[in-house]
Amino acid sequence: MLIAWRYRERNTIIQRLDPRARIIFMLAMLFSIIQFWDLRITLLFLGVAVLQYALARLTWRETRRVWILISFIILFMTILTFLTGRGGVEYAYHQEHLIRRLGLTLPIVGWQVHLDVTAEKTIFAISQLARMYAITIMAITIPYTVDPSLYGVTFRGLGLPDKFAYAMDLAFRFVPTLGRDFSVTLDSQRARGYEVEKLSGGIVAQIRRLAPLLVPVTINAIVGAEDIIDAMDLRAFGVGPRTWVHELTYRRADKLLIAAGVLVFVASIVLAFLGIGKLWVPEVLLRLATG
Amino acid sequence: MTTQGFTRNRAVVWLVVLVVIVLLMALASLLTSGDKVQGVAPIGVTAIGLIGVFAVYLVTARSEAWVVGTRQVVYMAIGAALYGVFNYIFNTIPMPSVSQVSLRPAVCIPIFFGYVFGPVVGFFTGAVGNILGDFLTGWGVYPAWDVGNGLMGMVPGLVLLFADKKRSLNFLTILVAVLIVIASALIYLNPKVPGPWTGEIEDFSFWAWAFIIGGVVVIIGRFVLERFASIDLAAINIWGTLGIIIGIGFAALADIWVNGYSFATAIIGEFAPAAGPNILNAMILTPILLAAYQAVQARTGR
Repeated sequence: MLIAWRYRERNTIIQRLDPRARIIFMLAMLFSIIQFWDLRITLLFLGVAVLQYALARLTWRETRRVWILISFIILFMTILTFLTGRGGVEYAYHQEHLIRRLGLTLPIVGWQVHLDVTAEKTIFAISQLARMYAITIMAITIPYTVDPSLYGVTFRGLGLPDKFAYAMDLAFRFVPTLGRDFSVTLDSQRARGYEVEKLSGGIVAQIRRLAPLLVPVTINAIVGAEDIIDAMDLRAFGVGPRTWVHELTYRRADKLLIAAGVLVFVASIVLAFLGIGKLWVPEVLLRLATG
Repeated sequence: MTTQGFTRNRAVVWLVVLVVIVLLMALASLLTSGDKVQGVAPIGVTAIGLIGVFAVYLVTARSEAWVVGTRQVVYMAIGAALYGVFNYIFNTIPMPSVSQVSLRPAVCIPIFFGYVFGPVVGFFTGAVGNILGDFLTGWGVYPAWDVGNGLMGMVPGLVLLFADKKRSLNFLTILVAVLIVIASALIYLNPKVPGPWTGEIEDFSFWAWAFIIGGVVVIIGRFVLERFASIDLAAINIWGTLGIIIGIGFAALADIWVNGYSFATAIIGEFAPAAGPNILNAMILTPILLAAYQAVQARTGR
């Protein structure tokens, strides 16, 4: 099985930025977005996320599958929150203005089920959608635009100790090898009559029948690890600070991006502290409720 | 100064900074009638969690379980790569599923790596493996779920803090019993609270019984597995289950603040569909993996 990274060189503004700056900016935006429920502010964040996505020049074709899956989850979770009464965090809203009460009687059992559609619940659901899409768009762009060979040095640059950054680098390098090992194991098991697509029996039996795929690949990797450990020990791994093949240096644009991220984050905390950014209910919805 | 001493000093500095921030937030909350500081609740909860984890580390700092040498670095990398690759493969190849239980065999990887190679390897395997899997599928980066997956691997690794597996199980049994007594007592003392589904005042005394019955089942399960299977099987299953509950629970509850889910959405929409199948998959596959590993270990002598 060929395992390919989503990343490819696109020569865009986004890809020319230092990955450390991009990760700091993404985290700053994430921690800023979660401070607000005001749709007007959430839409601003959504706008920034969409701009970043547009600058990354990702095509619909390469992201289609992810969009469909993520949109399904976001919509499902929003509807579920809407249906399960007081949506969201307790401080989002305390008072509700009823727009319409929907009700039905379940056949056979005769239970009465009702759903109150209120102005607050409705605008909360819309804000929640905007907020979740803003976070997701920020997050999706990373794997498509950051070179996998730079992750080790990136996280080292973000303060992760050498050993952990090296382990991260090593993990990314192991992926194609393990993908190939899985493919060889799958072919070998198929040659013995194993059919992963046609697992039969109950749930316990089905899960147990995955062991012939999982166990050989895992144990083989662990056995092979001993040679890697010996080779690294012979080269005195971990004795002194490491050097990296790729060097990352902040340029002006990167520093500006970090400054912008920090500024937005600080501003968000101040605004939240002042009580700005709570759920905003448009007049039109309140009129619908009272009318 | 030794590296360990330096790391500990730095950790203490960060802990002090964290405590100061939390105190400032709490003070600001008091001075502004509480509702103006929207972030104080999640920060407080996160801080309590971090202080708890740090306290566990301080108490057990001398344990071999926290050592990170060449061996751990390589196993961290292999564990993360395996978890990422399996996540990708089992998400993309067509797999059958029975009823609402999906097949998630990859979940046994962080639990196995944590249980065998320690909490640091387990945490790294879960967290970085999840990042890798999300990168391969193109899903993006979701810090709360990465940490949740990390906890799923770290908790089973805590077994190495004990002199032997039996003592770890005794500790867990006592912990479960004490937590159940506290939870049940709290519910009985204050059974009528606003329901997470409706927001109306409801009687929750039923949940005290649910806790007691659940706890008794876990404790009986421990002794049955220990008596009729093996101590290793009992330990990996119980520590693994605890890891899944804590890890997925953390990620699902974090989404209440991140995505604004209601408590019901977090539990019904995220925790139950993820934790349930994960526990089932892990309880079946992790012991098989452990048995295979022990056989290889006995043969090679490493």
